[in-house]
Amino acid sequence: MAQTGGLTLPTAKPWGLPLRPVTALRVAIIVAVVVLWEALSASGWLYRDVVPSLLAIGQAVYATLSDPTFYFHLGTTAYEIGIALLIGGLSGLAVGLLLGGSKFMSRAYEAYLYYLGPCPKIIFFPLMIMWFGVGPGSKVAMGAISCFFPVALNVAGGMREIDKVLIRVGKSFRANTWQMVTKIYLPAMRHPVINGVRLGLGVALIGTLLAETKLSNRGIGFLVIQAYSIFNMPQMYALLIILFVISIGANTVIGRFGGLDEIRRS
Amino acid sequence: MPAVPFERIDANAPKTARRDPILVVDDIVKRFETPDGVLTAVDHVSLSIAPGEFVGVIGPSGCGKSTLFNVIGGLLDGYEGTVRVAGERVRGPHPAVGMIFQEESTFPWRNVIDNVAFPLEIAGLPKAERYERARRFVKLVGLDGFERRYPAELSGGMRQRVSMARTLAAQPKILLMDEPFAALDEQTRLLLGDKVLQIQQQLKQTTLLITHNITEAVQLSDRIVVMTYRPGKVKRVVEISLPRPRSSEIVSSEAFGRYVAQIWSDLREEASRGLDDEESRKLREADTR
Amino acid sequence: MTATLANNRYLPPALGIGSLIAFVALVELLIRVGLINRFIVPMPSDIIAAFPRVIVEEHVLSRFLLTAAEAFSASILVTVFGVAGGVMLYRYQLLRRATETWVAAIAAAPLVLMYPLYLVIFGRSALTIVMMGFTAGLAPVILKTLEGLSATRRVLINVGRSFNLTPSQQFWKILFPAALPTIFVGLRLGLIFALINIVGVEFLINFGGLGQLINELAERYDLAGTYAAICFVILVSICVFILTERLERWLRPVD
Repeated sequence: MAQTGGLTLPTAKPWGLPLRPVTALRVAIIVAVVVLWEALSASGWLYRDVVPSLLAIGQAVYATLSDPTFYFHLGTTAYEIGIALLIGGLSGLAVGLLLGGSKFMSRAYEAYLYYLGPCPKIIFFPLMIMWFGVGPGSKVAMGAISCFFPVALNVAGGMREIDKVLIRVGKSFRANTWQMVTKIYLPAMRHPVINGVRLGLGVALIGTLLAETKLSNRGIGFLVIQAYSIFNMPQMYALLIILFVISIGANTVIGRFGGLDEIRRS
Repeated sequence: MPAVPFERIDANAPKTARRDPILVVDDIVKRFETPDGVLTAVDHVSLSIAPGEFVGVIGPSGCGKSTLFNVIGGLLDGYEGTVRVAGERVRGPHPAVGMIFQEESTFPWRNVIDNVAFPLEIAGLPKAERYERARRFVKLVGLDGFERRYPAELSGGMRQRVSMARTLAAQPKILLMDEPFAALDEQTRLLLGDKVLQIQQQLKQTTLLITHNITEAVQLSDRIVVMTYRPGKVKRVVEISLPRPRSSEIVSSEAFGRYVAQIWSDLREEASRGLDDEESRKLREADTR
Repeated sequence: MTATLANNRYLPPALGIGSLIAFVALVELLIRVGLINRFIVPMPSDIIAAFPRVIVEEHVLSRFLLTAAEAFSASILVTVFGVAGGVMLYRYQLLRRATETWVAAIAAAPLVLMYPLYLVIFGRSALTIVMMGFTAGLAPVILKTLEGLSATRRVLINVGRSFNLTPSQQFWKILFPAALPTIFVGLRLGLIFALINIVGVEFLINFGGLGQLINELAERYDLAGTYAAICFVILVSICVFILTERLERWLRPVD
């Protein structure tokens, strides 16, 4: 996005560094947080290690990233989420197309999805353990259930929101059904579909990882809860930081996909 | 462009109308079911257009102009009467009819050239040929240099020209336009009118223009069909005997003013009926809420 | 015509309910003939029979009140801090430009995974649960408040200026009412996020309200009871969603 207004123009600082006020403020906030954090950590007001020093966290991040077993757990979680996304996403897409394409089906069934969608899915975990065992199967199931709802609802909504005039354009040029689907419906729905996948990824991540923290012997969720049980706070912070960076990154990457044509203008 | 003399050349326009018509709309009636009962949108409308002719259909909002547009374009069925294109009865979108819609209708996910090439892609033309033809029509509407831009990067007037090029690229025998410039400002509208006149000149394109804008209708048409407010009937047909080639400069001429005044006196009554109707409907809506 | 069928007032919902009942009946049948293992899926009739037992013996009312109290506290926190945060970012545009992307990133992060951390900081108590709910609901409220305020139409602001409103009048009479519909959308989102996370964390840390109920029944291997409790929690959350929706519609002006 283009920054506008004189405020953001580079201003020469006395020491010769051009620093925009926004950047300056960001740096200031980060510095303040770091200082406050270190002060808290050094003061010992909170229980030991609740606020470990940033150095310890940094070391833990490094140690975690250079530990091969971490990648085993990361791989497990990634595999579970990948399968979950595939199952939940494809079934969500199918159901969404069905509901979006037929007013009748939508009026008959969509309310159930709409209200089940925001329910806390983790409460299904005991059932998933009974159905799919304590291994990765139940985690995949948790992720798939979580992911199904936002994808289905977004696809259904997106299909209804397609600008009707674009459909008329297609018909006026006598496009056949296949051409209508591939050249009009799917491209016109790209934003809601991608947005659904993005939301779906977010909740699949949560569903899978929470399930791992509850009952598992592998995966990132397991590592987090293990760090908790042995009270290794730097390790826990390190894992959360790595996790957040990965998930925010994945979210951004999928988001970029969506806006290719509209956001070109800068 | 040279200044155009504005004397009436009566021999010019009616001559074309006597040729075999390419589009015949015969006694169309279209009714809709609404919660307030059956609404007759189009009531026994007939008209015919000769090859190369430019006919404007004008009427207030709610006179069934857009319904007529969709019926002729084959996007709406369940009506009485017939529509024939070159003698052939229209059932569903006809290959010889090209439509330009009132709403923003460019595909935001395709750049200009791919938008224009769309109908050629649907028709299954080989790639090289469709881009060659698309480029020609992009140039025709004056957008050369913008081929790789996306609609979001263009102005409203430019986007409407993209839709125009897209429809023209299919090389329809008859062009239908439904208030194509409704969303644009007056100056852009006049200038785009010039573009349409110029394209009309080059392609000898048979055109049916639906509009509520009197200036636009007079500026472009050989003949104007004035419609009544609900139910939409043909109120009067006005031959516009302004000389061709025309340009937007014509709007300042005396003859132009006379046509505008004449059509406005016909339309005024209809438009005010529409306005009253609208107001009473809003009152009822507020009561039932 | 399918269109007329779809517009029928009763037919589609009836089909929806009908197929739900048919599905339940099918499951019952399959279990009775032994095609589904009854030690994995209890018979729907048993689940229905377990409802009164679960409600009476497991103190469902007091659990419900505990969860509701947690949700209510978290909602208050979310509303106060979320709206205030949004207003602050709107008021100080420099701060907004510096931090809006950060807030958006936080909104996208799986924050609920911080629950072990909260467990360490706040202990295994209702406070952990409330704080988790608060954390989960905060970012959407801030973002929606900010969005609502920024989307106030320029002309409305100019109307206010033309009447010489003071900055505080400008805020309370123009900006805030104009932003209110969007703020309500944000609040609804925030409250739903808070509730989901509260029930989830209750289940995960085995503490307190409805979430714990499911956990305990599952650990006791009370199959019918677990299923009944899950159905109960779903019903409760659906009621809450409908309630927040009604509330939003009721508080919103005509638009």
